[in-house]
Amino acid sequence: MNKTAPVEVYEPFKAGLPPLKRYWRMLWKRRSFITEYARSELHEKHFDTVFGQVWLIINPLLLSGVYFLLIVIIAGNSDKMRYAHLTACLFLYYFVNHSMSGGAKSVIKGGKLILNTAFPRIMLPMSAWVIALIRFLPTMIVFFFIRSILGLPWGWNMLWGIPVAMITGTFALGLSILISCANVYFRDIGSFLPYFARTWLYLSPILYEVKNLKPKLRSFELLNPLYSMMDAWSRAIVHNQVPHLESLLKGAAWALGTLLVGTYFFLTRERDFAVRV
Amino acid sequence: MTLQSESDFSPKTGELAVSVQHLGLTYTTTIDRRPTLKARVRSLGRGAKFTRVVRALDDVNLDVPYGSVLGIVGANGAGKSTMMRAISGILPPSQGRIEVYGKVSTLLALGVGFNPSLSGRENVLLGGLAGGMTRKEIAAHFEEIADFAELGDAIEAPMRTYSSGMFARLGFSVAVTVRPDILLIDEALSTGDAHFKEKSLNKIKELRGDNRALIMVSHGLGTIREVCNEVAWLHKGQLIQRGEPNAIVDAYEKFLHVGKSAAINEDI
Repeated sequence: MNKTAPVEVYEPFKAGLPPLKRYWRMLWKRRSFITEYARSELHEKHFDTVFGQVWLIINPLLLSGVYFLLIVIIAGNSDKMRYAHLTACLFLYYFVNHSMSGGAKSVIKGGKLILNTAFPRIMLPMSAWVIALIRFLPTMIVFFFIRSILGLPWGWNMLWGIPVAMITGTFALGLSILISCANVYFRDIGSFLPYFARTWLYLSPILYEVKNLKPKLRSFELLNPLYSMMDAWSRAIVHNQVPHLESLLKGAAWALGTLLVGTYFFLTRERDFAVRV
Repeated sequence: MTLQSESDFSPKTGELAVSVQHLGLTYTTTIDRRPTLKARVRSLGRGAKFTRVVRALDDVNLDVPYGSVLGIVGANGAGKSTMMRAISGILPPSQGRIEVYGKVSTLLALGVGFNPSLSGRENVLLGGLAGGMTRKEIAAHFEEIADFAELGDAIEAPMRTYSSGMFARLGFSVAVTVRPDILLIDEALSTGDAHFKEKSLNKIKELRGDNRALIMVSHGLGTIREVCNEVAWLHKGQLIQRGEPNAIVDAYEKFLHVGKSAAINEDI
């Protein structure tokens, strides 16, 4: 008999879930993997070079240029607020979109590591989310630059953008985790995502503002999690207004709900990943 | 390759390293190699089956003490790799219990270099961080890993440019250099050249002499006879026999031969 206690004990999961305390301990111990993995992915895509980082700025700038061409030049709409709204919401939307598309590939891409190493698999979609976040931050520099050029008023209410970004970030993380798991079961989800993302872009108050929607359509928008997030985001950082409490609460409920459902779905299925990837 | 941080635990010969108790492992896998939503929708109403339940291990009991090398033999589908994954915590059991008394390092057949676009160095770092090591610990071992793997400047090249031998060398080097208490090796020695095989075998013997515990899966029965002090024979998820290497390997070889002959006769 050994005098020492076992370092690890593996037993069947209870209710399909791994022991959550141990899981969290393992995740915390390996947290530097998340950032290192994100860094290596960005390195692979050359985002760590000077030109790569410049591209992170130029890309959203070009994107906003396209919409400037559409709204201001072709449509002849000189409403500065509308252009600022579109740019701000589009950048936040791409953060959610990149979290989804990166998350979709994350577990499959880490297949060899999953087959060979015991670690919390949730770190893979979390890394994809970190990559999306790193790509999102420079777009804010572009937005504030555009905002200055447009001469929109600055004020303390813009700080409401921070909790709104946190709510949207939580929602994006939940989506990344949920889709990464679903993609193990249906490998073509990644192929459907661009169509889904484009439809979602048009159904959300990004290319238009909430106030432009007919009241009838607004009730449908309650089913769209991005509706309240985009509205609150635009009010805060474009209009320098306090977002509606209702928007913040709805956004937070969607974000927490998605994160909880996504995490539960992921944890109850991650045991199977080693035999499915 | 899996790296875990070094432990302060100093194992003694004869003390338990791994205790597998009534291990049963069942999992559900897909029939299609690449399951898709499109295929699922198209076959709706046809009653097609998409998954199958595999009972990979059934009531396996096994104790591995420190200072020993346990070889695991068995035909394809015997559950050897599944058992290695269960012991390393990759695939938790469906029944029973596994107790591990030390830090495990795994070298499983498919795990070396998980991102082929990244260099050997980056893969070692990522694998180490995923395994729970700190950057400092990895950095402290890195030169030794690179030296043992004999990769030279190739350690900085993307792993997609590596030959299978280079993959194997790096994987083995990572797994043994971190001085694990328990080392799990699954068919990892089969791809190296003669020189590296020799070097690897010597390293395994050194670890055995150093009171570490090793569990190795191999179809190379010569290697099993040479380095193991004990052999377990698995067949269709069950432990058939366990004991002295030559006796078990002889019995296994006899079984394989008989099995083959029977199959040939059946075909005729």
